[in-house]
Amino acid sequence: MTTKGKKGIEDVESAYSVRLEMFNGPLDLLLHLIKKNEVDIYDIPIAKITEQYLEYLEFLKTVNLEIVGEYMSLAAELGYIKSRMLLPRIKDEEGGQEEEDPREELVRRLLEYEKYRNAALELGTMEILGKDVFLAGYDRKEMFGEPLKETEFVKFDLWSLVDTFSKIYEKRKKSETKEISLIPQIYTIEERKNQVIKMIKNKKEILFGDLFKGDKNRMKLVITFLSILELLKDGVLDIYQSTYKGPIKIIHRDKNVQ
Amino acid sequence: MFSRSSLSKIIECLIFVSEDPLTIQEISSFLKDVDKKKIIDALDELQKFWAEMERGFVLSKIAEGYQFRTRSEYSQYIVEFNKEIKKFRLSKASLEVLAIVAYKQPVTKIEVEKIRGVDCSSSVSMLLERRFIETAGRKEVPGKPFLYKTTNLFLETFGLKNLKDLPTVKEIEKMKQDLTEHE
Repeated sequence: MTTKGKKGIEDVESAYSVRLEMFNGPLDLLLHLIKKNEVDIYDIPIAKITEQYLEYLEFLKTVNLEIVGEYMSLAAELGYIKSRMLLPRIKDEEGGQEEEDPREELVRRLLEYEKYRNAALELGTMEILGKDVFLAGYDRKEMFGEPLKETEFVKFDLWSLVDTFSKIYEKRKKSETKEISLIPQIYTIEERKNQVIKMIKNKKEILFGDLFKGDKNRMKLVITFLSILELLKDGVLDIYQSTYKGPIKIIHRDKNVQ
Repeated sequence: MFSRSSLSKIIECLIFVSEDPLTIQEISSFLKDVDKKKIIDALDELQKFWAEMERGFVLSKIAEGYQFRTRSEYSQYIVEFNKEIKKFRLSKASLEVLAIVAYKQPVTKIEVEKIRGVDCSSSVSMLLERRFIETAGRKEVPGKPFLYKTTNLFLETFGLKNLKDLPTVKEIEKMKQDLTEHE
C-alpha cells in the first residue's frame, strides 16, 4: 500500500473525530435524555435512560460516528448503577442512616456539569467584542485570527438533530427498495456538501427533513447527514429551531446578514 | 489646574486614543496633580453622558478600565461594512471549558475534564492560542500539572468589568431552577 492510501484513511478517521467533537460529551447526552423524557434529575429511571443511551450509541455507530471511550465508560457506569439498583438497600448497624442511593454520585456530577453548561450559555449571550461590539479601528487587536477548526457557537442541541435524523432513517429503512445496480455507486461527502449548499441557497431556509427527500437508500441518507454536520462545523450552515420540539430549519450563513 | 469641563475632555481624549481599556490608575499617574476623586467623578459623568446621548457608541467599563465601544444594535452594519472582520467563532465545547476555567480558576485540565466527562485538550490549546486563558503556575500534586486562569483579553472580549462581574453562581442556579421547575 502506498503512503498516500494510508494518509487517506487517517484523514477519514480524523474527520469522524471532528464530527464527534461537535457533540458535547456523555454527560451532555444524559442531560438531553433527562430533558427529553421529562424526568426528575433526582429520581432518574436508570433502566429506561440506560436503554436509550445505548440506543444512541448504537445509532451513532451505524451512521459512522465512531463513539469513543468516554461515551462507553459512562455506559458501563450506568449499567453498574442499574445493577446496584436491583439489590436491596442495606441499612447500617446503627439502624439510622440508609446507604447512599447508587445514583447519587452521578446526579451530583450531572448537576455540576449542568451548572457550567448554563454558565457557558450565559457567556455566549454577552456582548462579545468582535461580534456584537467593536472598537474604533476594529483590527487594532489581533484577536480575530483565522478561525481554527472551531465550530461556531450554536445555541442548538445537536442531540435533537440526531433524534430527528434517526426517525427519518428508521422510517426510510422500512420502505427502502432494493436497488440493483451493476455499476457500484460511490457517494462522497464533498459532492453531497455542494448539492446541499445548492438546495439551500435558492431558498431562505429549508426544513432539515427536506434535505433527505431525494435519498433513496440508507447510504445516501448517512452521507447527507454527515455532510450537514460538516457544513455546520465549518459555519456554512446554521440551524434554527423556534421551540424545543418545533421543526428544525437550516439556513445558509450568507443570508444571515440582512 | 484645569477646569472641571476641560478635565473631562482630556480624559475623554486619553480613552479615545488608548489601545487598551484605560484604567483610573493610568489616568491618575498621568494627571499627577489632579485629585483621584475628581478623576473618578469625571469618568462617572462621562459614562453617564455617553449613555444618555444615545449615540452609536458608548463608554464601557471593561477589565477595570474605560473604553469606547459601538452599540451592539448596530453590529450587522459594521460587519457588512468591513468584510475584513473575521467573525468571532468559538465552539460550544470551548465555551464550556472557558466557563469552567473562569469560575474555578486556577484550575487544571484534568479538573476541567472531570466536570465535562470528556477530553478537553483541543479546547484548552485553542483557548491558550486565542489568549483567553493562560497558565498560572503548577498544582502541587503528583505530576505537577499546569493551572489555568482567564486573561484580561477574556474580560475585554466578553465585556466584563472584572471576574466578579461574571454572572454569579446563584444567578446560574436560579436559571437551572427555572429550567427544572416544571417537574
